[in-house]
Amino acid sequence: MQQFFQQLVSGLADGAIFGSLALALVLIYKATEVINFAQGEMAMFTTYISWSLITHHGFSFWEAFFATLLIAFVGGVLLQRTLIRPLERASVLTTVMATIALLVIFNGLAAWIWSPQLQFFPSPFPTTSWVIGGVHISKQDLGTFGVTIGCVFVLWLFFRFTKLGLAMRAGALNPAAARLLGVRTSWLLALGWGFAAALGAVSGMMVAPTVFLTPNMMQAVLIYAFAAAVLGGLESPIGAVVGGLALGVMLNMLGTYVHPVTSELRLPVALGVLLVVLLIKPAGLFGRVVVRRV
Amino acid sequence: MRKTFLLVAAAIAVSAAIVVTAGAAPSATPGVTAKTILLEGTFPLSGPASGYAPIPAGMGAYFSYVNAQGGVNGRKITWHFEDDGYNPANTVQLTHKFVEQDHAFALVGGLGTEPQTAVRQYLNDNKVPQLFVSTGATTFDRDFATYPWTLGWQPDYEAEGSIYGKYVVKNLASAKLGVLYQNDDYGNDYLRGLKAGLGAAHQSMIISAQAYDLSATTPPSVQVAKLKASGADTFVIFATPTPTIQAYVIATKLGWKPAHVITNSVSATDPFLTIAEKSGSDIVEGSISINYLLDPSNPVYNKQPGMKLYRQIMAKYDPKGNANDPLNLYGVAKAWTTVQVLKAAGKNLTRAGLMKAARSMAYTKGKKNANPFSLPGVSVFTKGNFQYPISQVTVIQYANHVFQPLGSLINGRGALR
Amino acid sequence: MSRFRIPVGFAVLACAVAVAPFLVSNYHTYQLAFVGLYLVALVGLDILTGFTGQISLGHGAFMGIGAYTTTILVVDHGWRDLWTIPLAGVVAGVIGLAFGLPATRFAGPYLALATFAIPLSFIGIVKRFPSFTGGNVGKNLPQLHSEFGWHVNPSIWFYVVCWVVALVMFPVAYLIVRGRFGRALRAVRDSEIAATANGVSTAAVKTAAFGISAFYCGIAGSLYAIGITYVNPDTFPIDLSILLLVGIVLGGAGSLYGMVFGALFVEFIRISWGPGILDLVSKAHHLDTHAPGSGLVVYGVVLLLVLYIAPAGAAGLVRQLLAIVSRLRSKKDTSLSDPSLV
Repeated sequence: MQQFFQQLVSGLADGAIFGSLALALVLIYKATEVINFAQGEMAMFTTYISWSLITHHGFSFWEAFFATLLIAFVGGVLLQRTLIRPLERASVLTTVMATIALLVIFNGLAAWIWSPQLQFFPSPFPTTSWVIGGVHISKQDLGTFGVTIGCVFVLWLFFRFTKLGLAMRAGALNPAAARLLGVRTSWLLALGWGFAAALGAVSGMMVAPTVFLTPNMMQAVLIYAFAAAVLGGLESPIGAVVGGLALGVMLNMLGTYVHPVTSELRLPVALGVLLVVLLIKPAGLFGRVVVRRV
Repeated sequence: MRKTFLLVAAAIAVSAAIVVTAGAAPSATPGVTAKTILLEGTFPLSGPASGYAPIPAGMGAYFSYVNAQGGVNGRKITWHFEDDGYNPANTVQLTHKFVEQDHAFALVGGLGTEPQTAVRQYLNDNKVPQLFVSTGATTFDRDFATYPWTLGWQPDYEAEGSIYGKYVVKNLASAKLGVLYQNDDYGNDYLRGLKAGLGAAHQSMIISAQAYDLSATTPPSVQVAKLKASGADTFVIFATPTPTIQAYVIATKLGWKPAHVITNSVSATDPFLTIAEKSGSDIVEGSISINYLLDPSNPVYNKQPGMKLYRQIMAKYDPKGNANDPLNLYGVAKAWTTVQVLKAAGKNLTRAGLMKAARSMAYTKGKKNANPFSLPGVSVFTKGNFQYPISQVTVIQYANHVFQPLGSLINGRGALR
Repeated sequence: MSRFRIPVGFAVLACAVAVAPFLVSNYHTYQLAFVGLYLVALVGLDILTGFTGQISLGHGAFMGIGAYTTTILVVDHGWRDLWTIPLAGVVAGVIGLAFGLPATRFAGPYLALATFAIPLSFIGIVKRFPSFTGGNVGKNLPQLHSEFGWHVNPSIWFYVVCWVVALVMFPVAYLIVRGRFGRALRAVRDSEIAATANGVSTAAVKTAAFGISAFYCGIAGSLYAIGITYVNPDTFPIDLSILLLVGIVLGGAGSLYGMVFGALFVEFIRISWGPGILDLVSKAHHLDTHAPGSGLVVYGVVLLLVLYIAPAGAAGLVRQLLAIVSRLRSKKDTSLSDPSLV
């Protein structure tokens, strides 16, 4: 039983990491209907900026944290205005390709600027654990968990109660109608990219102390985050986090209790389960089924 | 019709544009002119394995140094390497280019077990030396009869594993071993070596062995939890750097305090273990591993002449590189061996002559021609049926943020055979 | 006149293919052989992505299935490599059909994730059963050698094999997308609901497209294994699947001839053009061309630039240019052509 709870805790800790990047994916998807494959690499790149601020420019963790959020936001907006907007009229496939090009560029640039060597990235939370009934709960994991939940809450408030949030939702649902109502949809997309980049930066800075800072640290996380976002229904921030947690717990439980599922097969089996869920609920756990008309 | 024609014509134009130079006509010995020797190799400069990128840079620094001293028998070394991203499909195409287009004299230092396995037969068929591959997979040394043009360099993983086995039997006789290993050739070579080193009588000391998969890429928390639950008191980690550091941190997070930790040499560098320490692991201190090269991150070695030379070379020929990174020194030490073999092959340089020299190396302390960049006393030695160039290592222990050597050199291969 | 457009174009392509080995070195012939096999894979994927509108992030795995089919038959069962090529296509095609059946229920990002799962699972399964697949260590195939008593450089032999296959598979793809079935494919792409209303079974059409594209990729994978003479899980990374999609987009999704450009890009960008551009840049700015990651930056920037210059791919660009030309000479030639078949 102790082992069960220990694996549950480990799974939730992994899941919070997947969920935090999934949130960023959902944000861009809500605003632009595009899966941003560069999301993970943008998060990694901004984490390097934060690392550089801390190790080379004498920033404290939290100073660097908020400075990085600002840099990420501005960077995300600029990226959309300069590189993505010219492709507005191109097909979805072309836009997706552009995000893949960005993925490649950010990955290469990070290795070029900061070298591909593994770096230490500090955690704002203590490295010790609490022990409850023999189950070890790391304060660092708990901190990550808390930050992820906090992000969801803020996003929910934003979309629910602010004018900007409502405008962004309207812009995504029906751009033409929103434009008629005087919403400047083009800028809304840029803001979407900015918020997602900032959210990604949070995710990167929470992930880096556990997986350690390298140019490739987010590539696996992106796969899990993508899966988590789809499981959650792609439209729902809460769904993204629930999807991430479910995925994290499932991976740990498969590894612990299902012996034919060796470490190589954990990811395929987890994805298989997820696809079966999607066959039953095609719009994900928290998605709305859209009635399509001709 | 015109449209299609134009389209296809454009396609032809593009294909024609691909035709660059057809390469110089091969001389008597490809890659060797009166003034130059062309050496080439593939390394991962992008992707997950790109952390090894300092190796070819270090090699280049040493070759530049040798060229400045007048080169080898009057010839300057041209060192050219390309990025295969650790994908064997790229390695194969690039190797075809090196051999058929560039006419390299020899391929040196090519990195990775799988990429180098992919091109081994091709190079042997074409009688091109595949020298000092950057991998410890045993096959590159052991199978010299089948692949006469291929040779490794560093101590092989199996021999290293056996050293840990013997160390445990001698020093930790009552230990219960819990092994974390990568589920491929790399991890399996180590595990096989460990069992051989323990010997049949002591193999039951391994009470749990857990494999992890690199492509699953979540930290190996499930495996470490199982090792803890098994009741093991000695944690043996046969992993690449990132999972190794994660394993240290996870063990601490789970409240597991094994009495001893053994870490394989690939991951056991001061920078990596320092990261594990900073990330909160409290079981790093006292970790056991092995080494055979000088360690630039440990000030203990700063007075060695080899270390002084290394720092001079790095400062002058690779000023942007991080001289404290052991991988640079690995590259320099490997390039040193390459230069010795080129010298030994003589003025009348041929590929067969190079292999002959590589098959009978004797760079030892006794002959006062040992590799200055290796630990004092480590020899580079091959002869007849013994084709394991470096087989001496010393056991090291992590204390006060650096690895300190424990006692004298051990010959991993000598006792095994 | 326009009736002969396709056959003549094909004849010109065939002539170019026949002449090329005489113009370039053996190594470049070897590379052009890979262009041929990538062309097979891209044409297959184009039937699914370009003509039917179903995105796939996983077709590299079908190449892997074809490659492993060939490898296991040749290495463990002593088959002659050439005879395994069609079988590799069939095995990949059957698996593609089996996957296509449930996948037809997904669309957009859901389909992207479903297809993304293929290469991830493929790698895991290959590693899980090492006694069958060779696991991480992989398997070495026999080296390239000319056969049927023909003594020629192995690279040229491989080139001939790849392009004979490509020049058979290419017109077959044309026949597939041209007829009734081709119209059904495009109907599904343009509007599933309209297609259903017109009596097209979208699920059947999509499943068939999946099977056909997997068959093509299986053939290409078989050739890939023969040419690389080695397979292991690292040989079929997720990047390969994405690279195929890049080839489709840059060639021009929904155009068959455009795939020639896509295949050239896929083969040459990382191995040849990227390092070449870096060399040029470094001569001008004294940059370290061997800096880790620099090759990736060049690849990404070139990809991005091509997307801006030709958002509809090379075929789209050529169509635009030709439209300008024909507008200038509009009085003479007003024959309409179906742009999707260029």
